[in-house]
Amino acid sequence: MPIRSPIEDEVVALFEEFRAPVIRYMLAFGLPIADAEELAQEVFLSLFEHLRRGKSRANLQGWIFRVAHNSALKCRLQLRRHSDRFVYEPVLSMAAADPAPGPEETLAISQWQQRLLSVVRALPEQDQFCLALRAEGLRYREISEVLDISLGSVAASLEKSLSRLMRAEQT
Amino acid sequence: MQREPVHLSEKELILAADGELSVRRRAKVNAHLEACWSCRERMRVIETTIAEFVRARNAELNRQLPPAAGPRALLRARLSEAAAATPGSSFWQFPFPAARVGQLAAGVAFVGIVLVVLTVFQSTVSAEGPKPRLGITPGETRPITVEEVCFYQRAEVVSRDIPNDMRQKVFAAYGIKPAQADQFEVDYLITPDLGGTESIRNLWPQPYSVRWNAHVKDKLEQRLHELVCGHQLDLQTAQRDIAVDWIGAYKKYLGENPSH
Ligand SMILES: [Zn+2]
Repeated sequence: MPIRSPIEDEVVALFEEFRAPVIRYMLAFGLPIADAEELAQEVFLSLFEHLRRGKSRANLQGWIFRVAHNSALKCRLQLRRHSDRFVYEPVLSMAAADPAPGPEETLAISQWQQRLLSVVRALPEQDQFCLALRAEGLRYREISEVLDISLGSVAASLEKSLSRLMRAEQT
Repeated sequence: MQREPVHLSEKELILAADGELSVRRRAKVNAHLEACWSCRERMRVIETTIAEFVRARNAELNRQLPPAAGPRALLRARLSEAAAATPGSSFWQFPFPAARVGQLAAGVAFVGIVLVVLTVFQSTVSAEGPKPRLGITPGETRPITVEEVCFYQRAEVVSRDIPNDMRQKVFAAYGIKPAQADQFEVDYLITPDLGGTESIRNLWPQPYSVRWNAHVKDKLEQRLHELVCGHQLDLQTAQRDIAVDWIGAYKKYLGENPSH
């Protein structure tokens, strides 16, 4: 029985912290939840290799989301190519499609909130990614690294999305 | 002379809410918000919208998330399997080809902290007032590109108030007694606008009441920012000059006498 390395514990601790954020982010790609869950496993196994090789520990949160972003893109491509079971369906629209949400869940989301979610669904995909990463706590600089766009584009994207959301509130 | 616009732009309000303004710009924005009820109300609308969106998003997504226990146990098992294998052998097939991993790793390795390496010298009080001690405060930077430095016309780079326990550490390192603390401002040696970090290696106690004080250093920071963004000076030189001897740098870039 090999002794468990401290890196394993560290990765599990990071998994505890970032599993939900990473899966929520991957759902913005319209992946089925089971695939997102499996990809999250792969992300943290890659993280283990990364740390075991003594690679940089600077900004692990950014690293995790960058790898998650790339694997989600790749996975979606494969699903589209190799399977007809995959229908692109951004996850925020599933509320409307879900036939039987529990009563407390129906109550949990107000009409205004439903309207906000539908505004988000109507945004271009890149803006949805930006907003989702910001919602998961990434700073502009980290978002720009994950999406490989400039800081200016991050700020412009968030500004655009937020003003649409604010207008949704006023109508 | 260009006049400041009457109210804050939506962009500025959002950047302020997200803590993405430079120290200098944030101070101006805060001053405006204190004075202006209209902008404060606009800020409240932004914050409320963000709060409602986050609440809706979490309600929507979290109920789809299975409990963490199963996936965690699975990961544990996979990790011990991976730990038993030689590093880098098998399980890279999905989801990344090896070349991609190499690229990623190289990118990530670059994101290490870049230290401005300097010779250690000690100098406390001279005729021109206390200076940063390079043994304690060599100046430390995070990786930052010129594009990021010049993101907005005037230095809109992330920075926060220096937390109190960090201030205490800086005072302790410089042997400043609590009673004297209010004569000093804890300041960045290399300003965050130019990539300086918020670590003890980049913070020093700057006296308020001397000729070469914080206002003078602000002028230098602004000048260096202009030069870097005007491509008249490279970022590394700017970082080094301000870290090694900021008063010397002031004289070099702005002239012999400090203007307040
Ligand atoms: Zn105003």
